[in-house]
Amino acid sequence: MRSGITRQALRRHRWTLVGPACTQLLGAAVIAVMLMTAASLSAPGLSAADRRSVRAGGMTDTTAVFLGDSIYLSVLVVAVTMNLAVSRQLRDIALLRSVGATPGQLRWSVLLQAVAVSLPASLLGIALAVPLGSGWVALLRAHDALPDGVRFTPGLVVLPIVVGIQLGTSVVGAAVAGRRTIRSAPAIALSETSGDRRHIGPARTALGLLLVGGGIAGSAVVSALAADQADDAALFVLLAECIGIGLLGPVVLRAAAAVLRPLLPGGLPRLALDEVAALSRPLAGTLVPLVLAMAFAGIKVAARTTSAAVTGSPGPPAEVWTDWSGTAVFCAFAGVAALNALVTVLVSRDRDLAVLQLAGGTRRRLLLVVSSEAALVATTAVLLAGLAAGATLLPMLHTSLGTWLPRVPAPALAAGLTLAFGVVAAGTVLPVAVLTRRPALHRSGGAG
Amino acid sequence: MDTVVQLTGVSRSYRTGGRETVALDDVSLDVAAGEFVAVMGVTGSGKSTLLHCAAGLERPSAGTVRLVGRDLGRLGEAARTRLRRDSVGVVFQSYNLLSELTVAQNVLLPQRLGGPRARPLAEVLASVGLAGTEQRPVGELSGGQRQRVAVARALAADPAVVFADEPTGALDPTTGAQVVGLLRTAVDTRAVAVVLVTHDPRVAAASDRLVLLHAGALVSDGPTPDVAAIAEQLAAVSGAPQAASR
Ligand SMILES: Nc1ncnc2c1ncn2[C@@H]1O[C@H](COP(=O)(O)OP(=O)(O)OP(=O)(O)O)[C@@H](O)[C@H]1O
Ligand SMILES: [Mg+2]
Repeated sequence: MRSGITRQALRRHRWTLVGPACTQLLGAAVIAVMLMTAASLSAPGLSAADRRSVRAGGMTDTTAVFLGDSIYLSVLVVAVTMNLAVSRQLRDIALLRSVGATPGQLRWSVLLQAVAVSLPASLLGIALAVPLGSGWVALLRAHDALPDGVRFTPGLVVLPIVVGIQLGTSVVGAAVAGRRTIRSAPAIALSETSGDRRHIGPARTALGLLLVGGGIAGSAVVSALAADQADDAALFVLLAECIGIGLLGPVVLRAAAAVLRPLLPGGLPRLALDEVAALSRPLAGTLVPLVLAMAFAGIKVAARTTSAAVTGSPGPPAEVWTDWSGTAVFCAFAGVAALNALVTVLVSRDRDLAVLQLAGGTRRRLLLVVSSEAALVATTAVLLAGLAAGATLLPMLHTSLGTWLPRVPAPALAAGLTLAFGVVAAGTVLPVAVLTRRPALHRSGGAG
Repeated sequence: MDTVVQLTGVSRSYRTGGRETVALDDVSLDVAAGEFVAVMGVTGSGKSTLLHCAAGLERPSAGTVRLVGRDLGRLGEAARTRLRRDSVGVVFQSYNLLSELTVAQNVLLPQRLGGPRARPLAEVLASVGLAGTEQRPVGELSGGQRQRVAVARALAADPAVVFADEPTGALDPTTGAQVVGLLRTAVDTRAVAVVLVTHDPRVAAASDRLVLLHAGALVSDGPTPDVAAIAEQLAAVSGAPQAASR
């Protein structure tokens, strides 16, 4: 029966589980690449001269930082996407409870799903890490960030580490999402899951405020540290803020909708606001990777460009290249996670979209509604990312460069915004365009 | 009187796994403004298919459907959707509401989507016995209350016709009778046309005209008799060979 439920869930929710599977594959690949790169830097076959040159070039430290970044980023987005995917099947879980599935059976089912998604994704990610990592090391050599003697040395030791991290995060993300519904009495669970308008607990808000406040206080402390320590510690601060933002996300989105409501005319924009407010919980899950990617990239880019503007030197080319490409990799990773989260939310709204179509919404109008929602979410994400990045970056800039003013070239800013809005648009408008092609009648769940 | 729904020689067949099912077989039917038509027949006789074709939710394989004077076959998907939004209300057994939105937001959906202005919300909700529930999330309501919200949405902007497919199927007899009563009132006071599919003779008894389907064909069409006679007619056409004619 147990594996029966699991198999059914896997089949029925295969599209929502594709999201976490993709992010876990990517996360596993990036972590494995960084682990294997780190191993390559201290490989026994390396000559003493190469060893010295690696140490002098700072690549050991940089790789350690990248490894840390990739683990934290992966933990966060995997937990968020898995949580979102399980949240989408709470109604099924409640239904199963009502027909006699015990909490234990359902807990097992959720656990097994997390494992069934995580294990193959991690293994595939590790396999992918071999060609990717050898490409990464070759690029570092080509850009003189590493001496020519360094060879990429893949090893199986990464397997337990990567699988452990991914599996652990995935299971925790899934368990947290399912906990409440699995524990509740079936009737309560059913009525709670029949809409997304669930109560936002004060504990959640308090924890969110604590993390954001702590993050801001932390960045003041961090800015007093030595420059290279500050760089590493800043990431912790940023992560704390991003998790806090994720927790506060529903409140923030509802507040944004409430602020805009009186300013907008009735009709489509109003419908979009209502939907954002009503779906604030799942949409907040999509905010986390978006804000994280934008804040992370914003800090990296602004730190480099401001330093170049103030000191008049762009910095050592190898270091600059490593920084840029590392940032690009993490942004791509977080971007994919955000895309996944958005698609997961949208796909699970298929029935709602069908209802709107039956009520007389043309495809064009639905696309307009969803684009307005996307614009609101993206704008909120940009503002939050600006706040998080600013809180982390400004004290650092002040300590290291003596300025409070970040200098970012306009084209870089424009490119960043275009990317952010592009990801949100792609993750919302495309699924709607695809979903609404099928007749509404067959998607509305038993019209007849 | 104005004809609001006009089906002429409408057929619909489905091809599944190489086998052809004729769900609707050469059905012709006119419904006038202010007319309340009940459609009955055994399961699989084509009632839902008839309703879907008439409401422009599905395209017939043959024949023409005119809705408030417009030939649906000549309209594209978007134009048919707008026509439905502006002149048609639909109510299904499964409510088809957005459960995370409030009662008010659900009732105003067609208007938000660019449809005609609804009558004042308080009045609409009062007319279905839901006064004061504007701000309640639909997810919290009982089945009967949800179905009233669906009826309120269908009637809010004074449509020409309401199509209802087993709207009382999930409700207890008393609540079901109340919901049908709401449709009856709309017919009597605002000349809305109603086409209602049901399995329940007591529900059908609220109608003016009874249409019976068997194996996709229209086998009987006449004034609605009393409850006992409805049940008798239904048994007669369902049990009888398909050759029955109007
Ligand atoms: N999308 C479809 N694909 C294939 N066959 C279909 C489809 N929709 C309906 N049918 C078939 O058409 C016939 C009529 O179906 P319809 O849903 O109209 O029946 P109904 O009278 O509404 O039945 P019920 O009282 O059970 O709701 C049935 O044999 C059904 O199997
Ligand atoms: Mg039916």
